[in-house]
Formats: sequence, structure tokens, C-alpha cells
Amino acid sequence: MADFEPKIVAFCCNWCSYAGADGAGVARLQMPTNFRIIRTMCSARIDPEFVLRAFSKGADGVIILGCHPADCHYIGGNYRARRRIALLRMVLEQYGFDPKRLRLEWVSASEGEKFQKTMVEFIDTIKALGPTPMKEE
Amino acid sequence: MGFFDIFKKNKAEKTDKTAKPAKKEAEEKKATPRDAAAPATSGLPAVDLGELLPGAPKNGKIKLAIYWAAACGGCDVSLLDTNERILTIGDMADIVMWPIAADGKEKDIAAMGDQEITVSIINGAVRNSENEHMVKLLRQKSLLVISYGSCACFGGTPALANLVDGKDDILDYVYTKTPTTANFQEQCGHKSAPIIPQNSYQAPEGELTLPLLYDTVKSLDQVIDVDYSIPGCPPQQESIAVLLKALVDFVYNGVALPPKGTMIGVTTKTLCEECPRHKENRRITKICEPHEVDVDPELCLMDQGILCLGPATVGGCGAKCTRVGQPCRGCYGPTEVVQEQGASMFTAVASLFPVLEEDPTCSEDEIIDIMSTVKDPLGYFYAFSMSKALIKRKVSEKGGQ
Ligand code: SF4
Ligand code: SF4
Ligand code: SF4
Ligand code: FES
Repeated sequence: MADFEPKIVAFCCNWCSYAGADGAGVARLQMPTNFRIIRTMCSARIDPEFVLRAFSKGADGVIILGCHPADCHYIGGNYRARRRIALLRMVLEQYGFDPKRLRLEWVSASEGEKFQKTMVEFIDTIKALGPTPMKEE
Repeated sequence: MGFFDIFKKNKAEKTDKTAKPAKKEAEEKKATPRDAAAPATSGLPAVDLGELLPGAPKNGKIKLAIYWAAACGGCDVSLLDTNERILTIGDMADIVMWPIAADGKEKDIAAMGDQEITVSIINGAVRNSENEHMVKLLRQKSLLVISYGSCACFGGTPALANLVDGKDDILDYVYTKTPTTANFQEQCGHKSAPIIPQNSYQAPEGELTLPLLYDTVKSLDQVIDVDYSIPGCPPQQESIAVLLKALVDFVYNGVALPPKGTMIGVTTKTLCEECPRHKENRRITKICEPHEVDVDPELCLMDQGILCLGPATVGGCGAKCTRVGQPCRGCYGPTEVVQEQGASMFTAVASLFPVLEEDPTCSEDEIIDIMSTVKDPLGYFYAFSMSKALIKRKVSEKGGQ
């Protein structure tokens, strides 16, 4: 288990979190390379199906990053997203996944450091949980 | 050339010889305006099945098999429910197998030539070795296979068994934990070694066997190639009429069948489009059950806080449940453009809950508390479609260090 390198899918909204991730890169903050970023226009664009698909294809963790509450570029997108994610966490738990494998976090365009810290933390969480219990079909 | 093309070609040749049925078809066409005036209860165009069938088809009867795999019998009853029409099916077809209503055993089917059966209508999911053997046999012996009902199409109710750990869990619960069996095991002295069905038993007369139960319940098309599907738990008469009309037109008039893969008896829109209830798109703060409230007869059930799968379900049934004040449970499955019926429901439900004043400051845990008023989301939103979900069964975390 010591050499387990998790595969993590990170959905970042275009207006805040993606810019935040970019900021982290520009500032050359050190981060593990276990995640692939998928940019969406808003956290509300992330259909629950995307998350389920990521898990069904063997992602060890999925993290969704959006603008802080009250800061969404489309006014209320992140409020919708957080309700869907709450439902999804309940469903993943019913499936038998540890709900910690799905995380929602708010990262603004200027928070490169928060992005780095969040990702490092999340990767540590997933490393502690071990590989996804999802088996290949 | 696939078997489907062979089938089409055979029939095309046969049609040439029969001029009379064409007249019959024209008569049927003339009769349609009467139906157009009839009140449409579903989004499907009303199908006129005409008078009873005009005796045996010119080219001889077709061979029909109707089979149940992991099913409740409701699908078979829905076919019997076609009233007088069921009696004339015998004019059109020789029923070579139909466990609920006719004879015809596995060995009779096994003795038939490949593709000798014209149509097999199979209901039920696939969850044991017998189901698998029979559907594979029928596939081999049939030109067309129709996946009939939600269990066959999406796993249906049996597929909810995918949410326990596996078959041993089920057998253990059913044969040792339910009160009646627990009593039996105890009173008959089997408490320490409970009696649980075995796949094979050596009796003095020889070996007795039972089918092997599988851990994961599958839909029919996950096990064999399927030509058409007709969803519903069971399919409603509006949908069955579309299927029967297609078969009758084909057998008597040589009318081409729909393209392979067609979902028969559904519309292209969601159930909400054919539901007569009036939508106000209200925001709700609490989910309730129909028996907990005085259900308004006109207002959309979601507006009243009752979870209704209409927005994530394809139309075709005529909104049978919502018309009588019960929420749609989604038995017709998702619309064509969506893969995940459950996921599309999460989106609809999440949007029902209003944005709160405290939203900018509250934590995710508070949001989870609010959403927890949705009880058993997995079982509720995937009540009929578990086999078709992206994640098809329960998983178990091994637990890291
Ligand atoms: S679809 Fe419904 S009616 Fe048909 S076998 Fe399954 S549970 Fe029974
Ligand atoms: S949500 Fe249900 S009750 Fe409301 S319009 Fe749709 S199908 Fe009808
Ligand atoms: S309203 Fe929904 S649950 Fe009821 S028959 Fe129609 S599709 Fe099935
Ligand atoms: S634009 Fe960032 S969450 Fe909506």
C-alpha cells in the first residue's frame, strides 16, 4: 500500500478555482501530481453523472472546486452544486464508498495557496483510504 | 448479413404474394380519425388495434415464445390483460413456450432449429444460472428477441439486490434471519447448522440441482443481444398496443418492423410533458410522503414536496401514477438522451430546495442535514434502473492504514 498513487479527478470552475489552480502553478507551489483537472464553466455545470462516471471508471477520489458562496459568476450556481454534492455523498455512502472520497471546496482566483493546501490534504486523505473499492467490470 | 436482414428479406418475399392484407391496412387507415378524436391519455399516438385478427396469416403462423426470467409475473399478466386480443394471438402465432399460460419445456426449445422461433418476448432480469441458460437458448432459437418490462430492460426491482453484499448475504438473511425462517430453524433443531438451499444435493435417487444464484443482477441486454425493448413495470396497455400493432402489421401486411434497438411504447419527452398536473416550480424545504399530506389533485406533486421521478422518466405510460395522486417511481426508465436516471433526478431534486439566506455562510454539513430529508436516495432514484446505473452494485471499502 505504501506505493499507492491515487488517481484523482478535480473539477474546477472557470472563474475562480481554475484561476486559483493557475495561480498555484505560476507561484511554483509544490504539489503531488495525482490529479487531473477538468475545467467547467461553473461548479453547477458538474452533472452528478460526471462524478459517478469518474468513480465508475476507477477514480480513487473526486474533488469539486468552485467560487466561494456569494461569489459564483452565475450568482447561485455553487448553491445548486453543493446540494447535488450533498445528495451524491449520501448515495456514495449507500453504495459503500467512504464519503470522504468526494469533496467540495471553495477556492477563489487569488487563493493559489489554498488550492495547493486543499489538494495536498485531499490526496493524503485518499492515500489513507487506499484504492477505490470499485472493481473493473 | 445479420439475422435481422435475413428476417426482413424473407418477409419481403412473402408480402408479394399477399394482396389482400394491403386492403385491410387501407381500411384501418380510414378508421383512424375516430381514434384521433378520442382523448389522448398518453403522449403516444393512440393505436387502433382494429377488429379481431382476420384468422391465420396467409404465410402460416409465426412461432412465439414468452418467457420469464427473474420476474414477478406482472409482466405476463399485463400480456393477458390485453383483453380479447390475447385470444386471437393464437390465430397469428403458435405459442411454443409460455410458462404462465401454455406448455412448452426447455427440451422442446432445445430441440428446435436455430432461429426457428420468430419472436421471443422475455420479461424479468437475469440473476441465476437458469435465467442465463434459458435466455441464451431463446436467443439462439429466435429471429427477434423483445426485452419486455423494466426488470428485463433495466434490472427493475430484482436489481435492488445489487445493493447488498452478495448472494450469500441474501440467502443468509432469507433463510436464517427473517422471523418465520429463524423460528423454523430453531424449532426444528437446525439453529447451529441452518438449512440453506444447496446447488446440488445427493439424494438416494440421484443428484438434485438448483440454479446458481448470482451476486449481481443484470438486465437482459447485458447477457444477450436484444432487438427491441418495451419498458414499464409492467408495460402499460398504451405501450403494449404499439408493440402488438407492429407485430400484427408485420405478420399480416408485411409492414417493416422498427429499426433494431428501438424502445417501443415510449415518447421522446419526459413524463412531466404528459402529466396533467399543473406545475408552479415552487421551492420546497421538506420532502414528504403522499400519505402524510392532503394531496392537491391538480398541483404538481413535486410542488407539494412529494418526490416524483417524472422529470427523469421517459413518457409513454400516460402518467398513470400521478393522475391518481401517487408519485412516478420511474418504471419507464430514463429518456433517450440520459444514461443515468438517478443522476438526472439528483439534479432535479437539488434544484427544488431554495437558496437560503444563510447559504453564503453555512457549512456543507448544514446542507447535508437539509438534503437528508431525502430518504434512501439510492433505492428511491434507482428503484427500477440499478442494473443500468454507472455504478451497478455495492462496493466495500477495504480500509487503508
Ligand atoms: S417489470 Fe415489473 S411487472 Fe414486470 S416482472 Fe418486473 S417487477 Fe414484475
Ligand atoms: S414532477 Fe411528477 S407530478 Fe409534477 S409534472 Fe412531473 S410527472 Fe407530474
Ligand atoms: S407514472 Fe411513472 S411509475 Fe407510474 S407507470 Fe408511469 S412511468 Fe411507471
Ligand atoms: S462560476 Fe465558479 S462556482 Fe459558479
